[in-house]
Amino acid sequence: MKTFIRKRAVASGLSLIGLIVLVFFLSRLTGDPTSLYLPVDASLESREQFREIHGLNDPILVQFFHYARDVLSLDFGDSIRKARPALQVVLEAFSWTLTLAAVTMLLVTVAAIIFGALAASRVGGVFDRIATFFSLIGASAPDFWIAIVAIVFFSVYLGWVPTSGTGTVWHWILPVAVLFIRPFGLILQVVRGSMISSLSSAYVKTARAKGVGPRPIIFVHALRNAMLPVITVIGDQAAGMLNGAVVVETIFGFPGVGKLMIDSILQRDFAVVLASIMVTAMAIFIMNLLIDLSYAVLDPRIRY
Amino acid sequence: MTMRNLTACLLGTAFAVTAFAPAYAADTDIIIVLNEELESIDPCMASKSNIGRVILQNISETMTELSPTEGLKPRLADSWEDMGDGTWRFHLHPGVTFSDGTTLDAGDVKHSMERVVSTKISCEIGAKYFGGIKVTPTVVDDLTIDLKADPPQPILPLLMSTLTIVPAETPEEFVQNPIGTGPYVLTEWKAGQSIVLDRRDDYWGAEPEVTKATYLFRTDDAVRAAMVKTGEADISPVISELDATDPATDFSYPNSETTYLRIDQGVAPLDDVRVRKALNMAIDRDAFLGTLIPSDAIKATALVPPSTIGWNPDLTPTAYDPEGAKALLAEAKADGVPVDAEITLIGRTGNFPNVTEVMEALQQMLGDVGFNTKLEMYETGEWVDLYSQPFAEDRGPQLIEAMHDNAKGDPVFTMYFKYACDGLQSGMCDEKAEDLIARATAATGDERAALWKELFAYLHDDVVADVLLFHMVGFSRVSERLDFKPTINTNSELQLSQIKFK
Repeated sequence: MKTFIRKRAVASGLSLIGLIVLVFFLSRLTGDPTSLYLPVDASLESREQFREIHGLNDPILVQFFHYARDVLSLDFGDSIRKARPALQVVLEAFSWTLTLAAVTMLLVTVAAIIFGALAASRVGGVFDRIATFFSLIGASAPDFWIAIVAIVFFSVYLGWVPTSGTGTVWHWILPVAVLFIRPFGLILQVVRGSMISSLSSAYVKTARAKGVGPRPIIFVHALRNAMLPVITVIGDQAAGMLNGAVVVETIFGFPGVGKLMIDSILQRDFAVVLASIMVTAMAIFIMNLLIDLSYAVLDPRIRY
Repeated sequence: MTMRNLTACLLGTAFAVTAFAPAYAADTDIIIVLNEELESIDPCMASKSNIGRVILQNISETMTELSPTEGLKPRLADSWEDMGDGTWRFHLHPGVTFSDGTTLDAGDVKHSMERVVSTKISCEIGAKYFGGIKVTPTVVDDLTIDLKADPPQPILPLLMSTLTIVPAETPEEFVQNPIGTGPYVLTEWKAGQSIVLDRRDDYWGAEPEVTKATYLFRTDDAVRAAMVKTGEADISPVISELDATDPATDFSYPNSETTYLRIDQGVAPLDDVRVRKALNMAIDRDAFLGTLIPSDAIKATALVPPSTIGWNPDLTPTAYDPEGAKALLAEAKADGVPVDAEITLIGRTGNFPNVTEVMEALQQMLGDVGFNTKLEMYETGEWVDLYSQPFAEDRGPQLIEAMHDNAKGDPVFTMYFKYACDGLQSGMCDEKAEDLIARATAATGDERAALWKELFAYLHDDVVADVLLFHMVGFSRVSERLDFKPTINTNSELQLSQIKFK
């Protein structure tokens, strides 16, 4: 197990280094942030002064050398826009994204497993129809549309929940609900499919023959064996959320990392772009590791 | 789950929810929802719209203040006089204190001036208003300061309406906790979420009605409009025209922005005045109003809004005359002007609502009279490089769409940049225009207004310097409980002291 973790850490470390090099040079290809930061009327002297202060006049390799040296000591530099350490800006935003992703994925996982298992137990039944309906909505309706319609209906028309923001638990209901729909539909279908094949396997028939009740058969015997593909999809969906739920963060005014990353790319705030990518890449690496380890817990045949 | 368990669960949830609910706010507390987060809260960045709406005259004050109705009036300076030789003397109001308790003196003004142009930080106010001007401050006594500008600035008192005054102890790096002399003090800044200003008890001027202002940030237009509608916010300075449907709460206001196509006169066929006239005659400006452009927008005859001094009321927008345009083009062609050359029409993505559709319509109108144009839309960064000098040597003929903001009441903030030979975004070089700009910049009073007026007429009627389009309008939503109407200043500031309750 320790060897496995060590190997994964080395592989991820190499990927991170590749990512840093790639993102550094690719982001520089988009041009110089001076014209975006300064007012359109700023004089040539002001522009030159800005480039000098932020080291943008140095040759690109010198800039990269300085950057690589600083990153090794976990110093990502200051955000040009916010005049604060980039890592601090990113970590503040990331804590919001992490909370949003954790709450949503927890709810999605529990709900999808229960509904998926029940849908599989009676194909064509009520739960199966509900499952298909949600999957269809999740796959076909865009996030921003659901979000705006939800605000108009639940906040403006009914007045049940606030339109946006982060102040109280009420504020979390709409963003979590909007984020919930797509992964719920997807994971539910995977649970359903995986459960149908588990329920038709020989050991389930044996259990039934021995007189085991329907609930233990679904939730004890079949579900555990049906979980491996489900875990993979959950991991995939959670990784997407850790990268930032850009649409939901933008509409609901959540100060998360997805919105921060998009804003920084548009404003060429290189330090923040790089710090965001490093932080989210690290988080995804840790999450993938946890998923791999959870395979071993669920299926004793898997050993690292 | 048993009934008892269910009840306990519901009670627990109710308790958790109430524990998170906000305390009831006072009736005189307001919430303002802005369209983007503030990247900085430093007073020297207050010329950026969203930063200005929080800081200007709320936290930090300026020496003078430009009012849309009263003109230039005193704020921290009670009076000022021209000492000659480019020097202006300002007399400060006595007894003004900063929110940290220290008293305002001439040393603070000197430091504020030096700080905005410091090479150690990139202050927007310095870059926007004091670029190319060397201002030397000299403290005369505690309440008197001389500012000597090189080259001399007849409008230095107006320029001082942009300079936010900070204490002399403020470091030459961006601050996170701005200290000012204004009626409000920053009490909380949660990055990305909210900013809270509280009213000061020891403010030197009249006490405003608003006791506390909370600023929130929402990017989506519909969400901001919904927030004021549901009572979650009291003012949204910017909403979309599509959401501005309720006459009781939604107001349009001139936002001091003017849209135009900058003509690059350095490249044929745009160096021919007949071609430039034809460009103007080909545009059916009325067709845009009420369709792609809000119906309250005004057809422009100058790059500055009508509230600017020297604005020329005698000028009329070029009438739509496609036949006339065709005739001018034919005449130019007969003289060997390459009127068939492909002209690149350059637009800036997201510059204003419907910009892409406006550009497409312009391309169509120009095509209808015989122009051969190619439309290219650019992101801001690339667009700024194309719009500003130095221009690429091998460029073809270009028309660049831009929107220019001048809320400062004087054309000097516009005319040199946009029309002088060395102007950063100028597409022309004309001896007479150059002379008029120089003379108007140096003149004062009625003479100044007359010279600007003459320049506007010359550029519009004789040079046909550009394709002027519209003075634009913005839309705000204001809660019915407030007595507040947005003005041309709402684009750059939002003075809490001007907000009253009904």
